[in-house]
Amino acid sequence: MVNMGAERLHRNVEQVNALNVFPVPDGDTGTNMNLTMTSGVQELRSKPSLAVGKVAEALSKGLLMGARGNSGVILSQLFRGFSRSLAGQEEINSVQLAAAFQHGVDAAYKAVVKPVEGTILTVAKEAAKHAVTIARRTPDIVEFMSEVHDKANEALQRTPDLLPVLKQVGVVDSGGQGLVFIYEGFVQALNGQQEESSWLTAESAFPEFTSGNGAVKSAVAPQPSLQKTSAQSQLSTEAIEFLYDMEFFINRKLGGGNVVPFDEAAFKRNLAKDGDSILVIADDDIIKVHVHSRRPGDVFNYALPYGELTDMHILNMRDQHRDLLHEETPAQTVSVYNANPAEVELGKVVPEVLTGAPVDSLSAASAHEWAPFGIVGVAMGEGIKNIFLDNNVDVVLSGGQTMNPSTEDFMKAIESLAAEHIYLLPNNGNIILAAQQAAELSERSVTVIPTKTIPQGLAAVLAFRDEESATDNTEAMTQAAKQVRSGQVTHAVRDTSIDGIDIREGDFIGILEKSIVTSAPALSEACKELVARMMDEDGELVTILTGEQAELAETEALSDWIRTEYPDAELEVHVGGQPLYPYLFAVE
Amino acid sequence: MSTVRIVTDSTSDIPAELREQLGIEMIPLQVIFGSETFLDNVTLTPEQFYEKLQSATVMPTTSQPSPIQFMEAYERILNEQPGASIISMHLSAKFSGTYQSATIGASMLERDADISVYDSKSASYGIGMLVVRAAQLAQQGKSKAEILEDIEQMNEDKKLYFLVDTLEYLQKGGRIGRASALIGSILNIKPIMTIDSEGYVNVKDKVRGQKKAVARILELMERDFGKDPVDLTIAWTNVKDLAIELGELTKTNLNVRSVHHTWIGPVIGAHVGPGAAALFINRVRGSI
Repeated sequence: MVNMGAERLHRNVEQVNALNVFPVPDGDTGTNMNLTMTSGVQELRSKPSLAVGKVAEALSKGLLMGARGNSGVILSQLFRGFSRSLAGQEEINSVQLAAAFQHGVDAAYKAVVKPVEGTILTVAKEAAKHAVTIARRTPDIVEFMSEVHDKANEALQRTPDLLPVLKQVGVVDSGGQGLVFIYEGFVQALNGQQEESSWLTAESAFPEFTSGNGAVKSAVAPQPSLQKTSAQSQLSTEAIEFLYDMEFFINRKLGGGNVVPFDEAAFKRNLAKDGDSILVIADDDIIKVHVHSRRPGDVFNYALPYGELTDMHILNMRDQHRDLLHEETPAQTVSVYNANPAEVELGKVVPEVLTGAPVDSLSAASAHEWAPFGIVGVAMGEGIKNIFLDNNVDVVLSGGQTMNPSTEDFMKAIESLAAEHIYLLPNNGNIILAAQQAAELSERSVTVIPTKTIPQGLAAVLAFRDEESATDNTEAMTQAAKQVRSGQVTHAVRDTSIDGIDIREGDFIGILEKSIVTSAPALSEACKELVARMMDEDGELVTILTGEQAELAETEALSDWIRTEYPDAELEVHVGGQPLYPYLFAVE
Repeated sequence: MSTVRIVTDSTSDIPAELREQLGIEMIPLQVIFGSETFLDNVTLTPEQFYEKLQSATVMPTTSQPSPIQFMEAYERILNEQPGASIISMHLSAKFSGTYQSATIGASMLERDADISVYDSKSASYGIGMLVVRAAQLAQQGKSKAEILEDIEQMNEDKKLYFLVDTLEYLQKGGRIGRASALIGSILNIKPIMTIDSEGYVNVKDKVRGQKKAVARILELMERDFGKDPVDLTIAWTNVKDLAIELGELTKTNLNVRSVHHTWIGPVIGAHVGPGAAALFINRVRGSI
């Protein structure tokens, strides 16, 4: 019977692996449970006995020795309690078996530091509870085990209701699924079915284990309730059916005399017509509503008769998800489980992971609140824009020396941000005033960091720390902007003489901060002279941002020259894409 | 007077010689490459691991020891020295179930035993320095309570900083949270990492370029310790040169009493990735 349980699990390892919610390479709950179970069965085979107590003891010992991963450890604890309850028994009946299941659950709950519902623990608990209930009236052990298995499966299907992260990804709990497979094997064994059991050899221990990067294939035909591929990839943008994530309050007091009595059940039924993740918390004056809906208008219409609506927030989750896919970094994918802050607030979600990967320090509740900070920057060129966006800047206004954004442009950008405190980075001396004016006019909390160049702007955003206070950030960003030397090269549009430098139309001029320091007919010459002035004796890091007009050969020659001339400095070249200025330089 | 014995796990990265000399018991975690399973720092040395990592087609995964491994170790110690107290010091529970396994292992003992399982909230020599200190105090005959109090103080006072080549490994392993999302990937940004007092990996600061990162770490350490005498341990993955350079630079800025070197072992290495180096530093502690 145990062999069959192990066999069922073994045959479905990849299916269990594929249920891991978290996009981590060690998404291997199935493998861990399988290896744990294998160890149990090996021990059991090494000590053949007909006495149930002895068999259970051997199994338990093997499981404890082989326990891997959290699910494996929990599995071993379940069977540890189970075997203790059966100690000394030769044969058992339904009642004893039920008691053993219950003992297992008790032991497992005690062993786990922080039990999480919606996991293998819940599945085991529900099954054991049912077992105890039906044991007396179900003396037939086959029928009994079959009912226990059904109940376990039922509990498994409900795990997404208990652990919202499962619901988000649309899977059942992987460890729980593993346990259901084991119970399924028990039932089959009691029914006298046989499965080929040639697998207890080392070579076949990982039949289809293709890789650790989550791209595992399911080795078996999936059951209807299960996914064919890994859970994380299941969260395709289109799969977000109820795409508008809504949160709002119904204020019963503000509704005038016309509010109708609140019928929570009817209201929820209405929301459920086209939505899920429904959460309604009602007290006398205020009703808090959270729902993922396909029809946000309908949701508001259902709510209106009950009072005045306040603090309405709607997010398009497909949009958010597109951004996530675009970013493609696992850490950001993890933040998907931020999407249900209401549940988190209520303590429903304990974002505990049963795959061995730990919970990170996400402040899950903050997803729907205003962000502490927003940053608006000004830049020309696709490349520079992307660098800013990649480094915490929320809005990049197009502009530079010639196309200055207006105060109104800044005002609009400020209004578009749901952030407590907003920083403006003008990145050009000619734009600082417009930014400052916008800061004064806006009723929001806005600070201008008076960055005069793109390099200064970049230095400022790199000094920004989301977790620091506004005061500290202002100080750090302002200081950082002062630490960097900025240079730019462009061509002269007329003949002139400035600061003792004669400039001819068409020459290339090198500008260090605000002063023209060199003018030369050849671009390379102007660049070298400018860089030499910028390096002084202590430049450690040179960054080149190449403009629209920069040519690859020119850039390479310049890079080689800098590496040769300044072997101790690090050099980075990035595509800036700015017009008119073939090269921007930053030296730090 | 009862004896105190110290147990740790393989992620504390204590050189084997020192460990044996101090009578520290070590339980290995596991490193899994596809279908091959190795015992961390036992059947797979750091050199072998980093070499293997370069040619491996699958990313290694890691696994905590089973509770029974701990239970057996505790049994063994208690059979050797009946009545001994045990302090079992482990990898941050935020990263691994090792602490939980040890706790379960202790609860499974079927005899009276005085065992304290200690969550170091740290990793690598951040655990190692505490373990070594605890073992030294145990050799001096200090009581379990005295030792625990001393290492807790040391734990709060110590600092560790590490550099990684890429955040990829920490992110893939799920060992780093929100902070990493704020680090852009276009510019060559070097995050300076630490493990905070809660036991989470955190980005302490971010700078551009290796040189600036090293300079910033020195600055941070100077701010932390001023001219107080300190012990320094440098650990590396496959970048011994960088680590040695870091150590040398540190000596010029700080009042360094001793410098020790060690490897970052396979399990931790699997989560920080090749190219990582770490500095562990603590104020010189007197006798208690």
